[in-house]
Amino acid sequence: MPERVALAPAPPAGAGLPADGLVAVVKRDCPTCRLIAPVLAQLGPGLVVYSQDDPAFPAGLADVRDDTGLDVSVALGIETVPTLLRFGGGTEVGRTEGWLREAWEELAGVAGLGTGLPEYRPGCGSLTHDLEVADELLVRARGGSLAARRLEIAALEDEAEALFERGFTDGLPVVAPTPARVLRMLQGTTREPGEVVAVVPPNLAGATVEKVAINAVLAGCRPEYLPVVLAAVEAASTDEFNAHGLLATTWGAAPAIIVNGPVARALGMNGGGNALGQGNRANATIGRALQLVIRNVGGGRPGEVDRATLGHPGKIGFCFAEDEAGSPWEPLAVARGIAPGTSAVTVFAAEGPRGVVDQISRTPDSLARSLAAGLRAVAHPKLALAFDATLVVCPEHGRVFAQAGWSRGRLAAELAELLLLEPAEIVRGAGGIAEGIPAGAARGPVPKFRPDGLMIAYAGGGAGMFSTVIGGWVGGPGGSRPVSREVGS
Amino acid sequence: MHDFVALEGLGIPTMFVVSSEFADAVDAQARALGYAAIPAVYVPHPIQDRTDDEMRALADQAWLTAPVSA
Repeated sequence: MPERVALAPAPPAGAGLPADGLVAVVKRDCPTCRLIAPVLAQLGPGLVVYSQDDPAFPAGLADVRDDTGLDVSVALGIETVPTLLRFGGGTEVGRTEGWLREAWEELAGVAGLGTGLPEYRPGCGSLTHDLEVADELLVRARGGSLAARRLEIAALEDEAEALFERGFTDGLPVVAPTPARVLRMLQGTTREPGEVVAVVPPNLAGATVEKVAINAVLAGCRPEYLPVVLAAVEAASTDEFNAHGLLATTWGAAPAIIVNGPVARALGMNGGGNALGQGNRANATIGRALQLVIRNVGGGRPGEVDRATLGHPGKIGFCFAEDEAGSPWEPLAVARGIAPGTSAVTVFAAEGPRGVVDQISRTPDSLARSLAAGLRAVAHPKLALAFDATLVVCPEHGRVFAQAGWSRGRLAAELAELLLLEPAEIVRGAGGIAEGIPAGAARGPVPKFRPDGLMIAYAGGGAGMFSTVIGGWVGGPGGSRPVSREVGS
Repeated sequence: MHDFVALEGLGIPTMFVVSSEFADAVDAQARALGYAAIPAVYVPHPIQDRTDDEMRALADQAWLTAPVSA
């Protein structure tokens, strides 16, 4: 269901409201309103009645006004009908909702109201809270703040088909970004719709908060996800991350996002079982929104500037939370310089994940050797200083390191030591494999990864001694470096 | 391609050398940057696993025969 939103301070409230006297807001569709219609007649000719759905209801009263446009109801902040209000000196001095004889008599200053009626009946929801009506009101109040070109979809066109045919999708159906949905999405941030968040490659197009919100709607995000999407778009659009190169390379990696901090919990993100898989809306749609921004704002489409030879399924979207509560280590974002307790995204180049099995090792040394063996295969077992990688340590592997007192830094250092490759093993032709480093290119052992080229995160379910290697792309200048950014409001 | 635009903007005649596999990427990016076409030399694919001598031969062949669009 769409989020209900608070409306901006609304239209001309004063219009026609009495400076002194009683006002009732009703709708015919409400049984309580119909029940108390005779009571309204008892309140005398000075009563002003606003009818939300039928100007002819209630019949026989002196001053029933048409509020089917709901302007007065919005201005008065009506939540329930009937609502009886008293004005004095031009301002509201009291109101009662639903029907409670005692409250009505006190507010009206009239005794003996509705004597044949029950003492109490709850009211009904104001029409301003009907979802479709609320959308109309929202668009009426704020639609003018949207700058995007409007697309009309014909009544006989299928919405999902129309959006696919216009090229807005990644191949899966998207949520139609109607003005109401985009406005609701924009409620998720305090940033102005027109603010340029980033210049998005490959076309170097300016992405406004509104454009990002549109793509977040397309992706299926809830409004509260928007600040995370905005931070991810900012991070992915930096020169350091080099999304242009990552997109244009024939290598299949793509941007992935790790979320840290309170926002991950607040959004119910998954850093536990199946964290890298399907089934969690925030994980699935935040990653997808970033990819749709690159596609729809940046112009990065497969077969055009996206040259991936094969790609991987995570190019639809790849986003997960780190399991900070279970982790023996400081959060990844903190290790990367973000202040503790701060929500942040880390965007990194990612292939599809590949598990590393070790169900036997009880010592950190043995387990580190297993993980190093898995990491050695990144790009090619005989290539060194080629591609970056991310290692996602699962809880049952994390336990082994935690019990031995290994910090994240210690694990990284041990892995770096284990991943010093001997030139004789990796030179071209060695092992009967032509691929490898050129002869004479190295005199001594060569590190598999550049310094900081291996990122270590912690996530996963409580059972299973299966960590995961996520290969990256060329690291450093000319390639892509992971980028962390705080999540704003 | 962005470099092409930047260099042309500085008045430096520029062209593009790329393997034939990337022709549609050139077209897409050229359109996005507001060009109907960009002067390009397309060398035959593959190139990644070619030796230096083979690459020189490809370059010579491209120089002599590849269509140049402007």
